[in-house]
Amino acid sequence: MDFKGIHDRLRAIQAPGLLGADEPREADPEVEGDKGRAGDPFVLVDPQAMPSFLECCRADSVLSFEMVIDQTATDPGTDEDHFWVNIQLLSLAHKHRLAVKAILPKSDPVMPTSALVHKTCRWHERECAEMFGITFEGHPDPRNILLPDDWDGNPLRKDYEYPEEYHGISCK
Amino acid sequence: MSASGEREVMLDVRTQDMELNMGPQHPATHGVMRILCRVDGELVTGAQPHLGYLHRCAEKIGENVEWLQYLPYTDRYDYLAAMNNNLGYSMAVESVMGIEIPRRAQMLRTICAELNRIGSHLIAFGTYGLDLGAITPFLYAFREREWMMALFEKICGARLTYSYIRIGGVFNDAPPGWLSEVERFCDVFDEKWKEYVDLLMLNQIFIKRTANVGVIPAKMAIDYGLTGPLLRGSGVNWDLRQDIPYELYAEIVKDGAFSIPLGSGEHGTLGDCWDRFYVRVMEMRESVKIVRWCLDNIKPGPIIAEIPKVLRVPAGEAYVGIENPRGELGHYVVSDGGKVAIRCRVRGPSFVNLAVLEEVMVGVLLGDAVAIIGSTDIVVGETDR
Amino acid sequence: MGILEKQFDENLLTTKVDWLLNWCRLSSIWPMTFGLACCAIEMMAVGCAHHDIDRFGAGAFRASPRQADLMIVAGTVNFKMAERIKRLYDQMPSPKYVIAMGACATGGGPYYKFGYTVVKGVDRVVPVDVYIAGCPPRPEALLEGLMKLQAKIQASSVIRRPARTA
Repeated sequence: MDFKGIHDRLRAIQAPGLLGADEPREADPEVEGDKGRAGDPFVLVDPQAMPSFLECCRADSVLSFEMVIDQTATDPGTDEDHFWVNIQLLSLAHKHRLAVKAILPKSDPVMPTSALVHKTCRWHERECAEMFGITFEGHPDPRNILLPDDWDGNPLRKDYEYPEEYHGISCK
Repeated sequence: MSASGEREVMLDVRTQDMELNMGPQHPATHGVMRILCRVDGELVTGAQPHLGYLHRCAEKIGENVEWLQYLPYTDRYDYLAAMNNNLGYSMAVESVMGIEIPRRAQMLRTICAELNRIGSHLIAFGTYGLDLGAITPFLYAFREREWMMALFEKICGARLTYSYIRIGGVFNDAPPGWLSEVERFCDVFDEKWKEYVDLLMLNQIFIKRTANVGVIPAKMAIDYGLTGPLLRGSGVNWDLRQDIPYELYAEIVKDGAFSIPLGSGEHGTLGDCWDRFYVRVMEMRESVKIVRWCLDNIKPGPIIAEIPKVLRVPAGEAYVGIENPRGELGHYVVSDGGKVAIRCRVRGPSFVNLAVLEEVMVGVLLGDAVAIIGSTDIVVGETDR
Repeated sequence: MGILEKQFDENLLTTKVDWLLNWCRLSSIWPMTFGLACCAIEMMAVGCAHHDIDRFGAGAFRASPRQADLMIVAGTVNFKMAERIKRLYDQMPSPKYVIAMGACATGGGPYYKFGYTVVKGVDRVVPVDVYIAGCPPRPEALLEGLMKLQAKIQASSVIRRPARTA
């Protein structure tokens, strides 16, 4: 199914947390500074309803998104005040993909965990948490995964400052 | 004395589980990775992989260097299949840009990606034998791999980290005689492949050590997001080249040039280590068929689309997943129209595949634990990025 | 050598004894299996039949640091790994040598500028004897590095007292 079909089906089954969709478009000459948008379409979802949305996508036989391929986050820039949480879904039965995005405010980046719905999210959420500082409530094992346990700061934030030294070894 | 006449011995022995570190420096963990095993004698009662010993900040670098400058970093996450990494990144950026790749470039890309798949599976084959105590297959595998690396050296100058497949196509055309040498390689490889099968895959000791070990049922594989030989070894018929084809694979599949090998539980249970190994060895032969198809159909033409030297990718985002020798390698790139990416996320298949060890390694003996780790075929550059 | 080390004046006999001891050492350097990243693959290629490090006597890769003479740091060192490298180096018995193979081990490599967890060169952690440039260096380059190390060992004085300069 193409994106339009998937989006229509999501609306038809009233998937929890569905807020809208964003499709590629040309630059609008009326709006100043609008660059348009290229690439792939995605679906916008309320972060607090993400686990139920994922469960609904898996359970529905027309959509059948059994696999979460990737879960990550993005910091769109220092002058933006929110993070994006991006999830890529894949259906083995119907061979289609879906890109899901949730917007979290930087001042309070907390959302419920999807690790209880899809086991693969366990490690992806650990990585998001240490790289961006996002808290996933209810995660069974919220330790650092790639960084040392006593690392300061969240490296993938745009305002991250590199450390001077770590355990006596200079970073410069 | 009990009823049957045997003597019962009551021992007041209290045992304690021991925590054993496998790694980060270990001959059998395929790189710097640490697996904290809780063992009760020889029986593993819990396993926890610890990562991050090779974390090289690839995603942060992607946000700080220009689009074309990022390409050498892509080589270095899965360093055994560098061509495929270059391809994945280039395709993601090309997807946002919306450009057409010339046909000859696609042919050369496919040839190089499949040859690299053979090389990667050769190392998986050789090091798996080495883990289980067989040194000879390792030497045999490197014999063919040296030839493959010499071929790549002729076309792009490097043996391991190529940066050959660039945004828009490839950067260098095949030198004269290269295509016929690739054909000669394919002919010789088909003969040597039979040696590999006899030497290791059908070896009784190898079968005894890998059959019925580390069984991953299909449902567990899908739940953990596994892809690649791990998923196909469990019997699930999923290969991105066939199911969501990219580049020339739609045509190749239509022509029936290759098939997807699946695990079948031939020597043990479906989804055991032998099945995964079988999938990799058979895939080598299928890759040769794909290379032959490309050699039959390649024609002269341009090798790269028109790309400016200072590339500004239009604002947008895209996710493109390709079939790496280890699974689905995904690149998610976000652009705001500038010279530098806003986000360059790499979905490494080994990172996702490794998580299954927490569940599969429980209740096995230590020797089997080594066999299971080897069968997941992880590359730590991809796990840690 | 214990109490005999560096005790004797330089003369014909001690020079010959030193030459013999150095020759024994340089012809049987046993490396530790310590590949970290991409350079490890080239190190494996050196160990195989085409480039064959065994003809230099260095083909016996030992897994345990307590049985190894040489640590070839092949790949990027990051902070999490640096502490383990120091520990492994301490576990090796003297005389021990370190080869920093590749751009990452020499000086941080391509991750120098933006890698926040990358140590800019393994010589910030352990003392290095030979640096090999390349990303990854060709197997022949690793063999040349090994030969340079052998030359360094050849020139060392074991039982002879080193000459005083002042």
